[in-house]
Amino acid sequence: MAPETRLVDRSGPPVFELQAVRHSYGATQVIHDVSLSVWPGEVVGLVGDNGAGKSTLLKIFAGYQRPTQGALRFMGESVDFKSPGEARALGIEAVYQDLAIVNQLNLWQNFFLGKEIKRALGPIRIMDRAAMRSATMAALSELGLTRIRSADDPIWALSGGERQSVAITRANHFGARLLLLDEPTAALSVRETRSVLSSILRARAQGLGVILIDHNMSHVIPVADKIVLLELGRVLRVIERGEVGIEELQDLVAKKHRVTDD
Amino acid sequence: MLRNFPQFASLLRRVPELIPALGLILVAAFFTIQTTNFWSPQTMTAITSIAATVGIVAVGVTVLMMSGEFDLSVGQNFAFVPIIWATLFVSEGMNEWLALAIALAAGAGVGVVNGLVTTLFRIPSFIATLGMFFVLMGMNNLLISGRQLIMFDPSPSMALLGAKIGDGPFYMPLVWMGLVVLIFWFLTTRMAYGNWVLATGGAAGPAKAMGVATDRVKRSNFVICSFLAGFAGCMQFSYLKGVTQGQGAQYELLAITAAVLGGTSLFGGAGTVVGSIIGAFMLCSIQIGLVLIGAPGSFYVTFIGIMLVVVVIVNTRVGQMAGGAR
Repeated sequence: MAPETRLVDRSGPPVFELQAVRHSYGATQVIHDVSLSVWPGEVVGLVGDNGAGKSTLLKIFAGYQRPTQGALRFMGESVDFKSPGEARALGIEAVYQDLAIVNQLNLWQNFFLGKEIKRALGPIRIMDRAAMRSATMAALSELGLTRIRSADDPIWALSGGERQSVAITRANHFGARLLLLDEPTAALSVRETRSVLSSILRARAQGLGVILIDHNMSHVIPVADKIVLLELGRVLRVIERGEVGIEELQDLVAKKHRVTDD
Repeated sequence: MLRNFPQFASLLRRVPELIPALGLILVAAFFTIQTTNFWSPQTMTAITSIAATVGIVAVGVTVLMMSGEFDLSVGQNFAFVPIIWATLFVSEGMNEWLALAIALAAGAGVGVVNGLVTTLFRIPSFIATLGMFFVLMGMNNLLISGRQLIMFDPSPSMALLGAKIGDGPFYMPLVWMGLVVLIFWFLTTRMAYGNWVLATGGAAGPAKAMGVATDRVKRSNFVICSFLAGFAGCMQFSYLKGVTQGQGAQYELLAITAAVLGGTSLFGGAGTVVGSIIGAFMLCSIQIGLVLIGAPGSFYVTFIGIMLVVVVIVNTRVGQMAGGAR
């Protein structure tokens, strides 16, 4: 993945915008006044040490958590999600490290969970299982997973990286406008990581906004157009593409951590 | 071992009812050899009537267990609903159909309370429904205080729920069981709701992240479970033409046993309605079969206890061999 010159068109409205968002869990404030925008075709890396508030921000984007204060705007319109279902209906697809897959469901059931294809059977709407099976197989072969012979195979037929890639492909499949990725490369092999990162670039090329949380700076730097450095629930610095190198970024994340520990 | 037979493992994943079906065939074969009258009309009447009633309760319990929750109040609800029905129309002289509708609604209302208490206060359904078990036990006692409500001349509504079908050995509960199985087989395997139920029980976090309204799914299942238990209780009343507060005692455990014998997971996320019906037939065949071979009556429960534990051990091992763990 050679660094190429890429420009994000930031003239239109952002896909998603947080304005002065605060969030507390009980008495503990974890997000202090964060404003953040992501434009179509932009990959935003969220970095910071544990407890910086990355995951909470992602959950707010996904409608999983309602912020205590602040405004959310999607495609320029003010929104207030009461559930992840509402966010998904608008085209916000999240792929969580630990919340992406239901192990008890098979491949097609996972792929279409919550967005099942249906057809009419008299007055009721039943699942169109044939359509979901073939769409799942098509998506899997697009990813090069040709060894999977049946969409009825259990989800553990896939490796960790393949599951992440499937989850990202699933998001694309449903016409997402914004893709949220929570440590998609955690515990993956080098080859699998490359495949996940190219899935991210594919999504970017298709004009999706992408928010990426990753602890590994060497994964964030090559794909991110903008890196938001968080610390203890605040935006410490917004770094444009090419401004810093991998080691410098690692230092930025780690050094601050030592200071706050003292 | 099963890894060496990938086609068989894949068949088992697609048709998980095969294992309980095999168990039922073994049970039937055993009693066919050991007794002379296992297939007699009298035996068939006894087995199918009890199995149909237990089976309908088990279907509701199964759907609920698939979504990761339990209901320990079904046995008491099984008496509560027919007691309300019988009190209203036998003792109070209310129109029998209206009384039936009120009683069934009260039964479903029990599920509404169970579901709300469990999902709003985030307490284990084991405790919420154990509380309901005691509440209903007290109410049943209050309503008929040890008496028996008997209806010698079955009314049209009772005939619809429990009458003999023609001159054959079978009674209406078997027809209702068929209908209930068909409806809930369809709901859980052909409609998106089935996916949501399994996802809710299998992994509520990811299910919720994918937009499944997991709490609503659970609440719906509590209502389904309570409604079916009350309905089955009304069938039992219609079939026996009487009800006591002891009707349905321990059915909560019997229904869970039938579900587990049928392959339903205690941890949610797996189970089939058809498997649970097969489990109910297995239980009732053993119950009646042991009577036929002259075993002491109390032997049945002991035997069921041992079988339950053995089946869960075997299922766990088979599950691992079929590739549950990588």
